[in-house]
Amino acid sequence: MRTTARVTVPIVLVLSISLFLQGHNLPGGGFIGGVLTTAALVLIYVAYDLDYLESGVLGQEVESGTSIFEHRTVLAYRRTLLLGLLVVFGSGVAGFLVGDPFLTQTYVHLEGVPIYHEVELASALVFDLGVFLVVVGSLLTIVSVVSAE
Amino acid sequence: MSRLVIAPLLVVLGTAVLTLALGRRPQLQRATSVAGVVGYVAAVSVAVWTFVLAPAAPGAATYQVGDWPAPFGITLVLDGLSAFMLTIAAAVGLASMLFAVRYVTPENQRVYYHPLFHLLLVGVTGAFLTGDLFNLFVWFEVMLIVSYVFVAFYGTDYATAASFRYLVLNLFGSALMLVAVGGLYATTGTLNMADMARRLANPAAYGVDPAPVVGLSALLLAVFALKAGLVPFQFWVPAAYTAAPPPITAMFAGVTKKVGMYAVVRLYFTVFAGVPVSVDLAGSLGASPLAFLAPVLAAMGIASILVGGFGAVGQDRLEGVFAYSSVGQVGFIALPIAVAAAADPTGSLRGVAIAAALVFALHHALVKGLLFLSSAAVQDATGTDSLRDLGGVAGHSPVLSGAVFVALLSLIGLPPLTGFFGKFLAFDTAVRGLAVDLGVLSTLALVALLLGAVLTILYATRVWVDGFWGPETPAVETSTVDQGQVAVLVALAAAVVLVGVGFDPVYRFAETAASAAIDTEAYVDVVGLDGGGGA
Amino acid sequence: MSVALAVAVGGLFAVGTFLLLRRDLVRVVFGLAVVSQATFVYLIAMGGVAEGARELVPVLDTHGGGVPEIADPVVQALVLTAIVISFGTTALALVLSYRAYEENETIDVTEWVR
Repeated sequence: MRTTARVTVPIVLVLSISLFLQGHNLPGGGFIGGVLTTAALVLIYVAYDLDYLESGVLGQEVESGTSIFEHRTVLAYRRTLLLGLLVVFGSGVAGFLVGDPFLTQTYVHLEGVPIYHEVELASALVFDLGVFLVVVGSLLTIVSVVSAE
Repeated sequence: MSRLVIAPLLVVLGTAVLTLALGRRPQLQRATSVAGVVGYVAAVSVAVWTFVLAPAAPGAATYQVGDWPAPFGITLVLDGLSAFMLTIAAAVGLASMLFAVRYVTPENQRVYYHPLFHLLLVGVTGAFLTGDLFNLFVWFEVMLIVSYVFVAFYGTDYATAASFRYLVLNLFGSALMLVAVGGLYATTGTLNMADMARRLANPAAYGVDPAPVVGLSALLLAVFALKAGLVPFQFWVPAAYTAAPPPITAMFAGVTKKVGMYAVVRLYFTVFAGVPVSVDLAGSLGASPLAFLAPVLAAMGIASILVGGFGAVGQDRLEGVFAYSSVGQVGFIALPIAVAAAADPTGSLRGVAIAAALVFALHHALVKGLLFLSSAAVQDATGTDSLRDLGGVAGHSPVLSGAVFVALLSLIGLPPLTGFFGKFLAFDTAVRGLAVDLGVLSTLALVALLLGAVLTILYATRVWVDGFWGPETPAVETSTVDQGQVAVLVALAAAVVLVGVGFDPVYRFAETAASAAIDTEAYVDVVGLDGGGGA
Repeated sequence: MSVALAVAVGGLFAVGTFLLLRRDLVRVVFGLAVVSQATFVYLIAMGGVAEGARELVPVLDTHGGGVPEIADPVVQALVLTAIVISFGTTALALVLSYRAYEENETIDVTEWVR
């Protein structure tokens, strides 16, 4: 199980990021990218446990004995969810500043970027980032709280 | 300018996010939440005044989200009908929120009460504003997901069971709605309601076969009746209403239910009314899907009035009485709509009947909101809302009882309160409906209205005599009523009286709303299907 | 192709309805999930389905190339939205059924007190 996780998690993470980045004009996007990222993290939970990310990867002390809602990891997830919501809302309203209706999207082509030569930057990406954060935050909160029961 | 259309939606959405962010600071969160509702009321009134009520108002306005032109993008439409429903939502929402701040315990308020409340408003506002069939489904879902959580809010065995049943029913309903939406898309090739109305009114020009619309609209009717709690889909109502926190129950009865009725009026009268398809089913004959709506909705309305009335008489708890009463009152809203459906499309009766339904909806929202809130205040003070344990509240706290008294009188239908006009117009349309070819149903409708009125008097009197008159019971003697809660109740009661006394402008507003509901051409025009228009 | 889809929709609805009518809480939630899947298949079918060819699948073509003849994108957007919604509600339903089980101490809905 752990071996499988060690091999697949990085692949899934990279795939999720690539799906997220191409989301605005190819199949993919914030939702599916978020779900895949969550799947990768859940795989870690199943193979190790909830505290592994903190103790094993980040090398921090894990406080114990508090309720699951106060658990530091869960709090982080909830903050992620909140941040995502703010980004979504902000990206929608941002168009007001230049006089466009709610949720109007635009894009620019950047040329001469090293390695890629040409990059398409779409404002939809910001919205997608918000969705990504919301999905990851909410799903991981649900999974960790429910599995703690 | 047209940004005002989306303003109410953005205000509550922003408040929802903010209150979620402020979860660690209860005081600030509460203040933000109240400010958000006040901002919502302000946004709604400014938008409604600018586009519908002001002397030189255009009557309707649209907003193309993301600047995609209709019918490809998501269109928000604020016309008379939406404006009327939004006004109801704003009034009830404000009262409910102010009451909740005083009523719901601080710990419970911290458990996401405020963000959820604002998300409920988001769902309701979106449903009233959207001009797109699929978006209607999405907003319904937003509203319903929040509702499930609210029904299960207290987490007891009763609440979770009620919430689970509510959820299963409504998810199945949503699946059916999706089927209907998909079918309509396949039939007409569009999801924009204005575009759909235009294509269906002239099927040959657009190569549309209108026949499937009859069946699909019936499917939609079933779904909306489920959301509105009409018999035979009423069985989730009492359990869900008694399980949810009372301020939310006021929202459910006052606003969420109305979304179902709004959807019926909007889809049938604005979109499906012009469909040239001859209906010849058992007992119904006509030239549009409305011919099918009339008898079915009339039967549902009659059954609702009877079930709600008899159910309310048999209840022992205040909340139970009002929950059943609410089933009956939706019947009072449904019957005029049924008469409108049977009426001649060119005559004046159709507009009058829909205005009657809208007035009754406003009356019901205010009065039932007031009653649910006051039963909560009574329960908060005495620890019980069982009629057996109550008595003498009138002597103990006259102000609270005064507000309840006004509400009960209005429920019965005494002039000059709102209920009088609601009932008067309902009877008026039913009598006029006798002239319309509804067959035996119109006689039955009149009988049901009469019986419903008598039953209302019966349970209202019972509530008053058992709960508020007589010697003070031990539970009442030791109780103290929260003054903040009473202030909200008094304000609502004053609103009931004011709307009744100054009824003329209200009725004109309802008439504007009704004419907006049946004027398909104006609706199509304002959406500006040829791209770019409206914004 | 249409026949296959019709059979699939019918079969899914039948299975979903059967599960919905069970007494077991978890089965009911599964039933809901299956019924929603049935509506998704139905929605896709409503967009009109043709035999798969490279030209018909926009996923296989990229930027720059000529715009291929494409399948109806509206239904796909609808289904995507509906999937997200049903994903959320199913998660909620599962958590709620767990909670209802905790509170009522049985997963048999007919044994619930009220």
